[in-house]
Amino acid sequence: MSNVLRPYLAAVRSTLTAALTLEDFSSQVVERHNKPEVEVGVSKEVLLNPLTISRNENERVLVEPSVNSVRISIKIKQADEIEQILCHKFTRFMMQRAESFIVLRRKAVKGYDISFLITNNHTDIMLKHKIVDFIIQFMEEVDKEISEMKLSLNARARVVAESYLSVFNA
Amino acid sequence: MAPPEVFSLSQQSPVTCHAFNADRTQVAVSLKSNEVRIYARQGNDWNHIDTLTEHDKPITSIDWAPKSNRIVTSAQDRNAYVWQQSPDPQTGHMVWKPTLVLLRINRAATFVRWSPNEDKFAVASGARAIAICSFDPEGDWWVSRLLKKPIRSTVLSVDWHPNNVLLAAGSADMKARVFSAYIKDVDKRPAPSVWGEKLPFNTICGEYASTSGGWVHGVAFSPSGDVLAFVSHDSSINIVYPGGPAIYSIKLSILPLVTVTFTTEESVVAAGHDCQPFVFAGNQGGWELIGSLDDPQSNKSSGGARSGFGAPSPVGRLNSAAFNTFRNAAERGISNVPGSPTASSATESELFTVHQNTITSVRPYEGVPGNITKVSTSGVDGKLVIWDVNAITPVTAAGLAGKMNKLHVR
Amino acid sequence: MDVNFRKIDIDQYDEDALLDTELYESDPRDPAQALNDTKQNAAAVRSSLSRNDYVGALTLVLENAPYGPNVEEAKNLNLQTLVSILNSTKATDIPGIVKALSTDAQDTLMKYLYKGMALPGWGDVSGSVLLGWHEKLTEVAGTGCIVRAMTDRRLV
Repeated sequence: MSNVLRPYLAAVRSTLTAALTLEDFSSQVVERHNKPEVEVGVSKEVLLNPLTISRNENERVLVEPSVNSVRISIKIKQADEIEQILCHKFTRFMMQRAESFIVLRRKAVKGYDISFLITNNHTDIMLKHKIVDFIIQFMEEVDKEISEMKLSLNARARVVAESYLSVFNA
Repeated sequence: MAPPEVFSLSQQSPVTCHAFNADRTQVAVSLKSNEVRIYARQGNDWNHIDTLTEHDKPITSIDWAPKSNRIVTSAQDRNAYVWQQSPDPQTGHMVWKPTLVLLRINRAATFVRWSPNEDKFAVASGARAIAICSFDPEGDWWVSRLLKKPIRSTVLSVDWHPNNVLLAAGSADMKARVFSAYIKDVDKRPAPSVWGEKLPFNTICGEYASTSGGWVHGVAFSPSGDVLAFVSHDSSINIVYPGGPAIYSIKLSILPLVTVTFTTEESVVAAGHDCQPFVFAGNQGGWELIGSLDDPQSNKSSGGARSGFGAPSPVGRLNSAAFNTFRNAAERGISNVPGSPTASSATESELFTVHQNTITSVRPYEGVPGNITKVSTSGVDGKLVIWDVNAITPVTAAGLAGKMNKLHVR
Repeated sequence: MDVNFRKIDIDQYDEDALLDTELYESDPRDPAQALNDTKQNAAAVRSSLSRNDYVGALTLVLENAPYGPNVEEAKNLNLQTLVSILNSTKATDIPGIVKALSTDAQDTLMKYLYKGMALPGWGDVSGSVLLGWHEKLTEVAGTGCIVRAMTDRRLV
């Protein structure tokens, strides 16, 4: 792992640890309801200041904490058009299967590629530090995954081009 | 140094609240469901002996009156019940019978506590109000009067003053307040105290906030009632001397505390998201962090090969189990998210603290008010732990910051 | 049938609901004065920096940091001054400087770090410098400091 990435992930990790201090909180607007306050956004006092962690304009994480839920949105690095397409397909694939990932949100927050919603129900049944691990790991993985896909895509394109042009070589 | 007694009441669901009976032979807990479960102690085990079902939403708080042996419960279904033991007409066994309380609130009830004389109780709620309930013998039910002004948000916790009249409340509008909950038919006129002299219902005797804001999760009066402690979400604990007038605010380098109780006039135990109970001590001259009742360092050495939080792995580096789970999930669609009960990773990433997740409540267990010798805590990890309050592992403020970093930042 | 009434936000008429302005006590100074103070600070910081007094410079910026609405100009100027200090510090000096700051100053510094990271590419803001400071500050002040950056409504 590159040395530049380390402080970035460390910052995300410590911010997430601080944000995952959730508790059960029944809605004070609608009776007998209990919903993630960060998504409802009506009661100002139970929302906390959203924090952004960024390496540069293209790589940033938005953490929006509230009393019973945290929304984490990630902007994944996309250097060129191929990476943009790959990233779009990859996140779309995941988000369509969001229920298998439990904490994944079906739709990303505007301006970001993928969003997670962690509620107090998740922190109750899972260990908090494991959820943090999961997000960090996802961030590391997704970069690697996309650059690998890009490499294999290029390799395949080369093979295709070679076999196509070899007809004319003969 | 007596090690803490640890009981695992549930493997997967959190213990949202707990209350012991007078002689500590039984405990009532809520496992984040709409049932109250009563356990009886047998040697070193707690056996499930009874379940109280009447609520239809998760129970938020339980209190067991030691003298009158009555249980009061509150839940997110906006109701509170008072449970009393009476013989069953057919079998003759003692069973718990519920009485509905007329709360007159239209949002979740969040917290409930009996007053010291057990003739009334306070129910905090999300309806920006606190219901003070007293028994009406004519109607044979519990009636309530509401403390409303100036509460602007959900009330998260309450605590009674020993004089049975004053009530401290912490709420999500970032304020800790002291109210008078004087009810004419129940209470005698209270003697003047540091909080004021004339105390009609709904008098505000004090309103306090921490400088950096944050919801007030827990409040507690000292045994004499002259000092108020509250913990808020900005990771601070604040001690208020109303006569002083002084507020001592300790900003901590750890995650926020959510629950607090006085053990003596000059020391408190507070616990929360950092999974271990901390001891603070001081007097009018100032307060400081003394130490923790837990000893993560010794647990670490005795725990042997447990890795995880404190392990010196580089930040952001993957441990391979978590890595594989994610890859399985991503590539094969196996929803084996780390931390879920099915994952095999549960053993290898324990914390070094006794509680593995947030501590939800800390309450006196043994001793008399003013000299509590043991406290009990319940946590999101389903554990109930009884601690000796004198078995303190000292941590200096600087050492704590360093240790906490090892524990959490990595 | 007209169904527009269904879209009316009736919660906005809830008298008990808290408003943004009620969540914190606003800056006692008026905007012009805040800006003036900040300008004086900026000048003082330059002289401290020339003497290599980084702790003093940071304390100046962080102690009387403008907060709240209506002081955008002063806030921006203060951020600019702060970023210039952060950028001119050697990485090896950071832990010592952070330790020398008061708890309140550490909390305010954390707020500024997050503000700076929310504005990548603004002025001289550099992601890697801010991340370096963030790491060192968290090591000294702990996660509690980050929690306070979230709870404190006095936005810088």
